[in-house]
Amino acid sequence: MKTHPTETELALFAGGDCGTFSRFILNRHIKGCEECLAVVSEFTELRGKFSTRANVRPEIPDAEWNRLASEMRANIHLGLEAGACVAARVPVRIWNPRLTAVFASLLFLVGAGLMLHVPPPVPLAEATGPVVESTGSGLELRTGDGSLTLLNHRGSVPEQTASAQGVIRSSYIDAGGVTINSVYLE
Amino acid sequence: MSTSNSSRRLLALYALLAGSLALPQGSLLAQETALDPANSVKIDLPANSPLALISTSMGESRAIARGGAMVLDLHMSLTLRNSGFRRVRGIVLLVTAQEFAPGGKGSIARRSIDVLPSQEFTVPVELRLIRPVQQSGGPLVRVQLDGVLFEDLSFFGPNKLNSQRALTFWEAEAQRDRAYFKKVLQAKGEKGLRDEMVASMAKQAERPQLDVAMSRNGRTVGAIAPTPEHVAQFAFLKIPGAPVQPLQGSAEVSANEARAPQIEVINQSAKPVRYVEIGWVVKDKDGHEYLAGSVPGSSAAMLIPAGQHSRLLPDTALKFSRTGKPVEIAGMTGFVSQVEFADGKVWVPSREELNASPLLRVIAPSVEEQRLADIYSKKGIGALTAELNRF
Repeated sequence: MKTHPTETELALFAGGDCGTFSRFILNRHIKGCEECLAVVSEFTELRGKFSTRANVRPEIPDAEWNRLASEMRANIHLGLEAGACVAARVPVRIWNPRLTAVFASLLFLVGAGLMLHVPPPVPLAEATGPVVESTGSGLELRTGDGSLTLLNHRGSVPEQTASAQGVIRSSYIDAGGVTINSVYLE
Repeated sequence: MSTSNSSRRLLALYALLAGSLALPQGSLLAQETALDPANSVKIDLPANSPLALISTSMGESRAIARGGAMVLDLHMSLTLRNSGFRRVRGIVLLVTAQEFAPGGKGSIARRSIDVLPSQEFTVPVELRLIRPVQQSGGPLVRVQLDGVLFEDLSFFGPNKLNSQRALTFWEAEAQRDRAYFKKVLQAKGEKGLRDEMVASMAKQAERPQLDVAMSRNGRTVGAIAPTPEHVAQFAFLKIPGAPVQPLQGSAEVSANEARAPQIEVINQSAKPVRYVEIGWVVKDKDGHEYLAGSVPGSSAAMLIPAGQHSRLLPDTALKFSRTGKPVEIAGMTGFVSQVEFADGKVWVPSREELNASPLLRVIAPSVEEQRLADIYSKKGIGALTAELNRF
């Protein structure tokens, strides 16, 4: 070992608490290192002193021990009686067809409501600049944070054209006239 | 007694579960609110506008909060009156929500209308704005008049969107098609006109249509897996009577995406040209052809003198798909579809020129032709004849 072991390692060694491999390495080091041997000896001495003190039991009156034992016995009896009561109960029927039907109906209603009310998801911007695009619902101008869509007229079949100058157009016929929506890149 | 208690506990458990599911829904519904038209939308008409705003109907417009976003669904109808002294043939309204959707704008146009002085007409404004939930003063959406085209092709408006050009091209196209069908009526009678309408509706139903996504200076969103990019050349269909002819052109193509198309054209007319648009037909790997869009002149200040060359260089990337599936580009064809001269006169291909080319079959019937076919299918040949005679 090129460097000295840490105090923790030496303390574990002194108490016989380190692993086999660590013990072997530390043992070799300590044999050749007076400084570490002195630390280990100190730890061993301290350990011996604490062991001696720990063996001295404080005096507790016998009356206290008797009272604790009575309380423990009473608690054990109470627990046994409570267990007997629980064992005598009729098993709870978890499966309740009526409640399950009610819950399933509620779940269906909530799910249908969510499906009907959730608008199209907010499109994510995949490009750094604005994008214009013809979609099923109309012509969309999309930027990082928002979008503007000129919607197709309900029930109409729009005719779409694109100009490489940065314009997409959609035209539809209604009430004898023609409406043309356009989106422009700037 | 104990059985009753357990049932109560079970019932309470069910109620708790149902409540925990129902609570978010209830709270969501509570966040749906009616819009206040005065605060959500601002409609601006210039003081000297030939159109007057008569009323605004908000219909089923509403605002819904969802997580960190607010969804505004506007289903408005504007009633406008022609307060001028000329017939109105088309209008364009500019729609902006710059605070929440910067980098772009929208417009709503009504064309093929014939509004007499003092007559009222409606314009539907249907849009959805998704924005972060935050307090903000002022209107969410602003609607402004960008232009009005009159029967004599004169124009009023700030023209921020080049509405004059668009409305003039649309009107020229509409006049061309009405003249064609009037000629058919005179030459072949109602039966001939009916046959033309049936053929037009069939063509409209057969024509395939592409969805397009477009961005500037980069790859479009959702382009399919990266494949080697290559420069694809345009093939050109020359229309003999066109004042401008395409010479060569190319685009960077990768799978279903085309970027930075560039086309060189020559002005063969005797007048300077300030705007050219090339129709763009895309062929997929199965040989199907689609009218994908157009490549217009890129500069507002572009002017091509007589006999001179110019390049159309829009800096955009386009992604093509059909019914949600990418359409890989196997070939591209271009043809001159619109020309505007410096004096404001416009050129569009004649019906004869369109009919002469099998490739141009992919072009949809013009919007005016679709409108006439719609009148025929809903009201019959008598109403169509009356409509043609009205103009």
